[in-house]
Amino acid sequence: MLPDNSQYLVAAYIIAGCVYLAYTCSLFLRARNAAK
Amino acid sequence: MTADLGSARAIMRRGALITGLGLVGIGVVMVLAIGYTPVEINQGPAQKIFYVHVPAAFTALWIAVPATAFASLLYLWLKDPRLDRFAAASAEAAAVFCGVVLSTGPIWAKPIWGAWWTWDGRLTLTLFLFFLLLGYQTLRAAIRNPLERARFSAVISVMGLVLLPFIHLSVYLWRGLHPKPIVLKPSAPSLPPEMLKTLLIGIACALILYVGFVTCRYGIQLARDLKESADAA
Repeated sequence: MLPDNSQYLVAAYIIAGCVYLAYTCSLFLRARNAAK
Repeated sequence: MTADLGSARAIMRRGALITGLGLVGIGVVMVLAIGYTPVEINQGPAQKIFYVHVPAAFTALWIAVPATAFASLLYLWLKDPRLDRFAAASAEAAAVFCGVVLSTGPIWAKPIWGAWWTWDGRLTLTLFLFFLLLGYQTLRAAIRNPLERARFSAVISVMGLVLLPFIHLSVYLWRGLHPKPIVLKPSAPSLPPEMLKTLLIGIACALILYVGFVTCRYGIQLARDLKESADAA
């Protein structure tokens, strides 16, 4: 019987995705300011 | 000046393109992990956190931190501002990947170990490294003189390199809960082919993302340096 812990998998993927996307947004904003 | 700012813009654009590619790749890896790789019988679906956690750890600990430290060492020797710019960009990307490692690790640990966190050697040393990388950013932000900033931050980043062998060997040196390496070890990787393939694709995508982050951040730093020197003149 497989353990049912898929909610942890979903949480980890959402958090990892959010970290990468948040940093990408911060780079985008800083690049826009620096390019002016 | 205009041509140089133009080249900084071109670098930033290139970085944005590579970053986009890396992000799409990470998304594909998540879909592959859920839909293609088999479910591990003992750990269940939570084991698939591995496909995001390990590539981030590999990129931070085997690529980003060593690259930062070597660029810093070269900077201390050659005093080339491009090396300082690269080190600053790479250290920031290392902190991001370290952040992913330290956030996804405990989410895996809770269902598998029954605890979000233990003061295991590898976990603790990785947390120290993350704090060191945050300290590096704080130091850079606090020093206004570019030469002093580059010199002091180069020394800090070399400290990160000193931590790396202890992080890698911690699972052998001290008794702890963290699993031992299953790919980066002297013998063949102990993973079924589907799992190994997904993991390797994950590592490749994390590396592309790292290159994108560093390229973009390098362009930003170049543009800032150009403005700083123009203001000083």
